[in-house]
Amino acid sequence: MMNEFAEWLATTSVSLTIQSHLWIIPAVQSIHILCIGMVIASVFMIDLRIFGWAGRDQTLLETSRRYAPWLWGALVVLLLTGILMVVGEPVRELMSLSFWLKMSLIVVGIFIATLFQLSVRRNGRDWEAAAASRWTTKSLAVVTFLIWCSIIVLGRLIAYDHVWGSWSLRPLV
Amino acid sequence: MDFAAFLKTLESTSLAGWIRDSLYAFPFIESFHVIGLTLVFGTIAIVDLRLLGIASTYRPFTRVAEILKWTWAAFGLTILTGSLMFITNASVYFSNVQFRWKILLIALSGLNMVVFELTSGRNVRRWDNDRSAPPLGKLAAVLSIALWITVIFLGRWVGFTTTGKSAAPTPDIEINLDDLFK
Repeated sequence: MMNEFAEWLATTSVSLTIQSHLWIIPAVQSIHILCIGMVIASVFMIDLRIFGWAGRDQTLLETSRRYAPWLWGALVVLLLTGILMVVGEPVRELMSLSFWLKMSLIVVGIFIATLFQLSVRRNGRDWEAAAASRWTTKSLAVVTFLIWCSIIVLGRLIAYDHVWGSWSLRPLV
Repeated sequence: MDFAAFLKTLESTSLAGWIRDSLYAFPFIESFHVIGLTLVFGTIAIVDLRLLGIASTYRPFTRVAEILKWTWAAFGLTILTGSLMFITNASVYFSNVQFRWKILLIALSGLNMVVFELTSGRNVRRWDNDRSAPPLGKLAAVLSIALWITVIFLGRWVGFTTTGKSAAPTPDIEINLDDLFK
């Protein structure tokens, strides 16, 4: 089913346009990477603040407010450039296990980011005293960073889906 | 030993051979290269935007610039993983035009940083709490962002212009003659 959809998508005029202009995919991928930089750096800055390793002159609420717009803005551009890549190379993207694992982790990553921001906004001050030092918050910070790193790894692995062996949606041979 | 021979020596090291032959090494090294470079770009952009007076303007510049020690760590990861990818196919990468430009621009952004430290960076105390840096500092910030964005585009371009010629890991596919005629 997915395969048929991917192959149909590849015959659409938008897809054919992208396929016939070889510079589009690398250019879109580069913009995608720049935006990943904004997301991972934003997550990194908030996590460093939670650990107190950087930005201690700012409260967690201020840190969150500083990076949240960049995080969400970059995610919107990532979604748009991501769609362009799927349309341009439907079979490569949709028929790879890495792609679907990546999409699942993005849902988890966005869910955690939303919960975190709502919680910081609601409990603004209390976070400083209690939450930021709680070990659950710190573990969540580590997990969140690892999730976004895994999203980057899975994104790159779309090009090398064979690493999944027989689990790959397009196994070798 | 001339340089071409040196590149061949790099390619023939057992480490390079191991990365080439492994199904997993190159994809994961490349993934960590992306983690490193996105952190480098993102954290440098934070400092550059502060210089330009676009973001974090309510914080002293020197406070914002403290993040650069993490940038260096991420840069170390990027250089390490980049070198590992380079040795798998050193002569092809070295003769690649985009690769050469990329290395040149990375060197220029290093130079840009040195010039900044010697100019605006010298009297940082005078403008540390200002909304933005003096003109030379702003120029350094614009150059820095422009250089790193170009480096990232060139890096992706290298991937698209070397793969055809590359000795990138191609799996050994065993052909079983019995299956062939089934």
